Amino acid sequence: MEGASAAEPDRALLEEAADWLMRFQCGDDTTATQRAFEQWRAQSPAHAVAWQRAEAVSETFRRVPAELGRRTLDGLARPGRRRALHAFGLAAIAGPAAWLAWRQRPWLAWQADLATRTGEQKSVELADGTRLVLDTASAVDVAFTSDERRLHLIEGEILVTTARDPSSRPRPFVVTSAEGRLRPIGTRFSVRQLSGHTRVAVFDGAVEITAAGGQRRTLSAGSQAGFRAGGIGAVSSVDAAAALWAKGMLLARDMPLGELIAELARYRRGVLRCDPAVAGLRVSGAFPLTDTDASLELLVKTRPLALRRRTRYWIDVAPRADGMTRGG
Amino acid sequence: MSRAAASPDTISALYAGHHGWLHAWLARRLGCSHRAADLAHDTFVRLLGQRKTPDLGEPRALLTHIAKGLMIDQWRRHEVERAYLEAIAHLPEPVAPSPETRLLVIEALERIDAMLRGMPARTREIFLLAQLDGLTYGQIAERLGTSLVTVKRHMRAGFVACMAAL
Repeated sequence: MEGASAAEPDRALLEEAADWLMRFQCGDDTTATQRAFEQWRAQSPAHAVAWQRAEAVSETFRRVPAELGRRTLDGLARPGRRRALHAFGLAAIAGPAAWLAWRQRPWLAWQADLATRTGEQKSVELADGTRLVLDTASAVDVAFTSDERRLHLIEGEILVTTARDPSSRPRPFVVTSAEGRLRPIGTRFSVRQLSGHTRVAVFDGAVEITAAGGQRRTLSAGSQAGFRAGGIGAVSSVDAAAALWAKGMLLARDMPLGELIAELARYRRGVLRCDPAVAGLRVSGAFPLTDTDASLELLVKTRPLALRRRTRYWIDVAPRADGMTRGG
Repeated sequence: MSRAAASPDTISALYAGHHGWLHAWLARRLGCSHRAADLAHDTFVRLLGQRKTPDLGEPRALLTHIAKGLMIDQWRRHEVERAYLEAIAHLPEPVAPSPETRLLVIEALERIDAMLRGMPARTREIFLLAQLDGLTYGQIAERLGTSLVTVKRHMRAGFVACMAAL
């Protein structure tokens, strides 16, 4: 007698509900139609449930903007798509102008030689002995030819520890990004592709930056700089702790909470945000990047903060409402 | 006659008898105990919510069947999210939707993807022209060089498939 099953509409009822939806969709909503519809819906609980479902269907579609919805649905894996992308990927390597197109199509990252998913890190040794660590959501193409050893950073961040080329005729080592190229000299350095610019930090040796526009500058160990195609930004100092991400750790020293949360968010699927009210709070500590849940727990335990979980994939870091008993 | 779902008593007996086993089975498969715990939990939730009385003759087969379905759903949801993020990556910054809007749209798209699953290609095409692109039935008939009656037949089939999938 619980009623739930009694109200379960059968296929015939769903078809009737569909017919009503279609009538309304065609613009037929005269008073007579409305009245007939109300009578239909009031016939039984199952009729009402059928209509609820019909409305849920149209409501779901209404929430999606037409063009975005189209692109998303068309973008879902279907036979033939991969091949088409591949053809484009090859074409895009053609020249500097094409890099722009490349950057705007992050899905090319899935075609990359080496890639990590969000929250994943990967360490690889290349054919020449160079060690490469890929940070979260990163992608790199590897092109070793008889003339050069080239890495192209598509997105994310890598830490490179170069090795001496074992071949009889040593080939130069080059890392390219959307904004230019880097020539390391016996070294350990990291490169991060940000939106519109690249950031390089040198931990050992030196790295020569050549921005796509032609400006050139050499960075020595302990320094970092950002560059765009049009030029190289100011050089600042960097310490070894900045490379700790490659060991799955983020070392914060007096870091604004907003920045820390933005960093942690890179390692998580879904949304992780910081309430602006606490974004300026300074925090210090070692935070595990490979377990961001633990990092968030650590924050909440040590600072006056609380996690607000809106959905499983959406967390806000907010001030803790100590002593508040108000509901909602 | 036909009960709505397995009774809570049956479920708790099932839970007591097989939850640990299911968790271990999932952990082996996923290589992650946390995700396995989530999925094991979701499996029982799904079982409780089933409309039809499940066949409990082979409880472990039933549980793994549900769990596999959930794994596929989860993978598909990630695919939808990925395809959506890809689609908005083309938008200039000021037009890009806020995180809140994103979540709402992703959720809707996941449901749409689930509703469209198994829909014949022709029905899906006609249905999306109406529901997403906002074309009238007449415009669709004209564009596809078919009759209004045919368009309506596909629309009805599309709506019914969507409602049945909810």
